[in-house]
Amino acid sequence: MRLVLNVNGMDHELDVRPTARLIDVLRLQLGLTGVKEGCSEGECGACTVIVDDKAVNSCLVLAGQVRGKKVLTVEGLADDDGLDLLQRMFIEHGAVQCGYCTPGMLMSAKALLMADPHPTEEAIRLALAGNLCRCTGYTTIVAAVRAASEQPAESSSTPPVPAADRRAV
Amino acid sequence: MPNAELLTPGGIPELTAALQRATPSSRLLAGGTDLIRSMHQDHWEPDLLIDLSGVRELDYVRLEDGTLHVGALTTFAALQADPLVRRHARCLAEAAAQVGSAQIRNVATVGGNIANASPCADTVTALVALGADVRTIDGGGVIATRPLPQITLGSGRTSLAPDEAITEVSFTALGADHRTTFAKIGSRSTVTVARLSMALVVTYAAAGTVSGVRVALGAVGEAAFRDVRLEELLEGRPADAESARLFAAGCMDAVRRAIPGRYSLPYKQHAVVGLAFDAWNALGLCERCEPACG
Repeated sequence: MRLVLNVNGMDHELDVRPTARLIDVLRLQLGLTGVKEGCSEGECGACTVIVDDKAVNSCLVLAGQVRGKKVLTVEGLADDDGLDLLQRMFIEHGAVQCGYCTPGMLMSAKALLMADPHPTEEAIRLALAGNLCRCTGYTTIVAAVRAASEQPAESSSTPPVPAADRRAV
Repeated sequence: MPNAELLTPGGIPELTAALQRATPSSRLLAGGTDLIRSMHQDHWEPDLLIDLSGVRELDYVRLEDGTLHVGALTTFAALQADPLVRRHARCLAEAAAQVGSAQIRNVATVGGNIANASPCADTVTALVALGADVRTIDGGGVIATRPLPQITLGSGRTSLAPDEAITEVSFTALGADHRTTFAKIGSRSTVTVARLSMALVVTYAAAGTVSGVRVALGAVGEAAFRDVRLEELLEGRPADAESARLFAAGCMDAVRRAIPGRYSLPYKQHAVVGLAFDAWNALGLCERCEPACG
């Protein structure tokens, strides 16, 4: 089936299998291998991407369901000015060890900060509850997100995909 | 493996047209968080997938004449934040907030939770306590309404016809004289599947007595249910420590009646006592019994 969607600011028209999951199309057809597959059942959050400003598990959404929508993956976080503030804070706080969970962690955190620029620590932990990390023990990850939320807005790089009204499909 | 066809209706007329093509091997897709996992991990495909996510007119919460109407495509994230749901059906907002992760709640829907018919579906437990009716539409455009327990027949089993889609759940909005809560036990505190869940609705009179008690238990047996004997125990009783103990003991009996001989009974009959005290205390009724509850 034909699928039109916007990924990291770029429009794509693709031919996809009707039952292809979003993660399959992102990784295999668009080469966005920053989207990681872990559990394939919505437990680990490694595959988290942002669809129309909301974090979703790309292993639990069919590509056909995001027709006409805007998808943001970890590859879309950095821009010409460099890494996103969240990515810089993850590095600064040692929130990355093996790195497999990091893209998903970043995207869950990004979705949170897009909706709530100054969340409480509890809100950060809740937003990241669907992202598992075997290495860090979470403390440094939560600290990195908190640090990003405490930065003045002007020091953050502009979100590559601006908040847009949900497009009718 | 046959390659399924994906239909993407953009409104009710297109939906009914799509439903006309449904066979017993077809599946309706809402949030997809259970169905897509199952298809991928168990390596199967339906002959036809009808994606409801484009039928945006099924995404709403409305209060009309004392009845709360919730569109089938309302996500758990929307339910947990909706002011009408929080005010008039708090147990449903609490149940939605405890489903899975933020990523799941952003896409999973109340209609999907019912149609998937998992015994541990959190919002189904709340909706059973609320006495919800389920509205459906079929391929012929026929609209029908029936009580939720007539839809969820057992684990993964519903009374829905292959060409029948859930469009709405509705129930009497709770007023200021009601107290309601949802509680569950899982293997961890968040992102957890319920081993046991409970939704409780009571009317709290100024005299300090409870009436109109409705208790639904989930993940006890194949589908969430109400236990009339348990509910009658509390009718007209004062909201005190003795009632809390009576309620907890009644819950234990209800679990024993529901799953006699089941391997999980030795655990669940005791676990439900703690859950009962948690739920009772969360109602905020019994200022006089705090030392005894918990």
